[in-house]
Amino acid sequence: MSFLQPLISGILTGGVYALAGIGMSLVFGVMNISNFAHGDLMMLGMYLAFFAFTLLHIDPYISLVLIIPISFFFGYMMERIFINKVIHHPHQNQILLTIGLGLIMSNTALLAFTSDPKILTTTYSSSAFNPFGDVSVSVPLLLSFLITCAITIILYFFLSKTSTGMALRATSQNREAAQLMGINVAKMSAIAFGIGTALAATAGALIAPTYYIHPLAGHTFLLKAFTICVLGGLGSVVGAGVGGIIIGVVEAMSSTYLSSDWKDVIVFVIFLAVLLLRPQGLFGKKGGQ
Amino acid sequence: MKNKFVSIVAAALLAFPMLAHAAPVKIGFINSITGKEAQIGENLTNGAAMAIEDLKAKGIQVELVKEDDGGDPKNALAAYEKLVTRDAVIGVVGPYTSGCANVVASRADQYQVPLLVPAAAKEEITMKGYKNVFRLNAPANVYSQVLMDAVKAFKPKTIAFVYAATDFGVSTVKTAQENAAKMGLQEVANEKYQQGQPDYRPSLSKVKAANPDLVFLVSYDADAILLMRQAKEIGLAPKAFLGAGAGYTTAQFAQQTEISSLVVSATQWTDDVNWPGAADFGRRYKAKYAKEPSYHAACAYEAMRIMVETASKAKTAPKLRADLKAGSWNGILGPVKFADYAGFTNQNNHPMLVQQIQNGKYETVYPAQFSKKALVYPFKR
Repeated sequence: MSFLQPLISGILTGGVYALAGIGMSLVFGVMNISNFAHGDLMMLGMYLAFFAFTLLHIDPYISLVLIIPISFFFGYMMERIFINKVIHHPHQNQILLTIGLGLIMSNTALLAFTSDPKILTTTYSSSAFNPFGDVSVSVPLLLSFLITCAITIILYFFLSKTSTGMALRATSQNREAAQLMGINVAKMSAIAFGIGTALAATAGALIAPTYYIHPLAGHTFLLKAFTICVLGGLGSVVGAGVGGIIIGVVEAMSSTYLSSDWKDVIVFVIFLAVLLLRPQGLFGKKGGQ
Repeated sequence: MKNKFVSIVAAALLAFPMLAHAAPVKIGFINSITGKEAQIGENLTNGAAMAIEDLKAKGIQVELVKEDDGGDPKNALAAYEKLVTRDAVIGVVGPYTSGCANVVASRADQYQVPLLVPAAAKEEITMKGYKNVFRLNAPANVYSQVLMDAVKAFKPKTIAFVYAATDFGVSTVKTAQENAAKMGLQEVANEKYQQGQPDYRPSLSKVKAANPDLVFLVSYDADAILLMRQAKEIGLAPKAFLGAGAGYTTAQFAQQTEISSLVVSATQWTDDVNWPGAADFGRRYKAKYAKEPSYHAACAYEAMRIMVETASKAKTAPKLRADLKAGSWNGILGPVKFADYAGFTNQNNHPMLVQQIQNGKYETVYPAQFSKKALVYPFKR
């Protein structure tokens, strides 16, 4: 069997992991908060895509135009109402708050949408094409990957070229100094959380056509997002992107050449090795958190 | 004042024996109402609720104490202990999953309260000689046995296994391997996977490269849809997909006609089988819940009916155990008798059915005496 098959499917799946990881990393970088509700925000994105598709008959990829602003606003308000209350508190308080918010979201979804997994079946859900011989590439996964790349590029330019983006980075580098320079750091936190939420929801919507939609589906990805963030360096957007793809490829490769039973073992061995040899993560700044 | 108190006590004393006489029998029901297995759990909840209604209509009263295990063996055991110690039930129906049922079964003899397992398939549950554990459904080895019997006539040569790393998955495949060896099938791939992953393509590509005649799958719920989608995507097309239970037998799976068509699966029950009341149960269930009943619903219905009918006569746990052991029933799951055979104790030797999805509908195709349609072989897209 071709070596290319697991490589390609790993990179494509890794793209979606990366998007989930980038959102979490951004929030950590700017606000220094570990967001344990990230997986549940992804789940909200899945349901938004599902209902846009079933009720409004909008293709899940096109529905991103709606999902991104809705989830940004949701995240922005969530920060304003809840998260900023604990921003100067010890980490355990922040963790408890985000876990609590996540539990409220997932259990509300269980009550509202029941635990029946929903399946979003588009005309291309199980279609694939064969670019090189017998290697098959999933159409929905490729579309998701391309959208992920586009969003990452837009985010990169937003962070490096716009004044809001620069203010976000300044807040991330040194919150107190940024405030002294006249940056409204409270507003930056809300924007960062809004973007983080929008990225999580986008990741959820992108995976919806190839996965199933369930109130607890986000939990699988929460752990992955954490691993990706730490692997790439907490707070590093590029690191999270690369980390996501590494995890996707390692999973696919270890399923192919060892056994899918072992793939989590391999992922966490690499994770531990990075923590031991490069505690700041692959792209993290030395001396950072 | 004192006289009044005495008269109340006297009245209470007089009333009490009558109350005790009329008091309904207390039965526990452990099920996966929340958690990963909640979708199938709902079928069990509905089936059991219908049984209770039918019994009430017949004048049999029961006090049902429901417990949720969330699909977690720890919770299932805690639920069983609570039911027998605090609620003082005389019999328990459940739990649903193999993992939960196996753990609870190991304690049933300690508490001496009969446990009737409605739908868990792991063989071990009734193989340890527990006196208080009864099982209504056929164990996991029958799933693979009946599936292979159904395709035997077409003389397949090779087989690949793809299954969830759960109690049910591992135990079903273990016996399937034995059955395959007996049939002279050569195993060409063996892929165990962790549930709930987004990407099964690497495992399925390995299976495709091995080019088996039969692909034997064990998956719960939505994983079945994911696997079949990705199988179509990478172009895996064996002569037959054999799905052992759970995820391949849900209405939701059948609706995905693009990927589910012609998939063969083993089931404990269908609504077109000629067991007394089966068709009627299917109709009433659909009318009441606006959903197709899965075999789990039928198993839970029948388990609850047998448990309550027997318990309402027996009144005590030891008598209930003796009556379950001695009795025999005939209902929507066919003839039921808890017997000791082939290493099993208190196991109902339930005949399983093989069904195939044809035009988006489950059709019984094997054994011949229960089926109207023939098996379509080989599989084609």
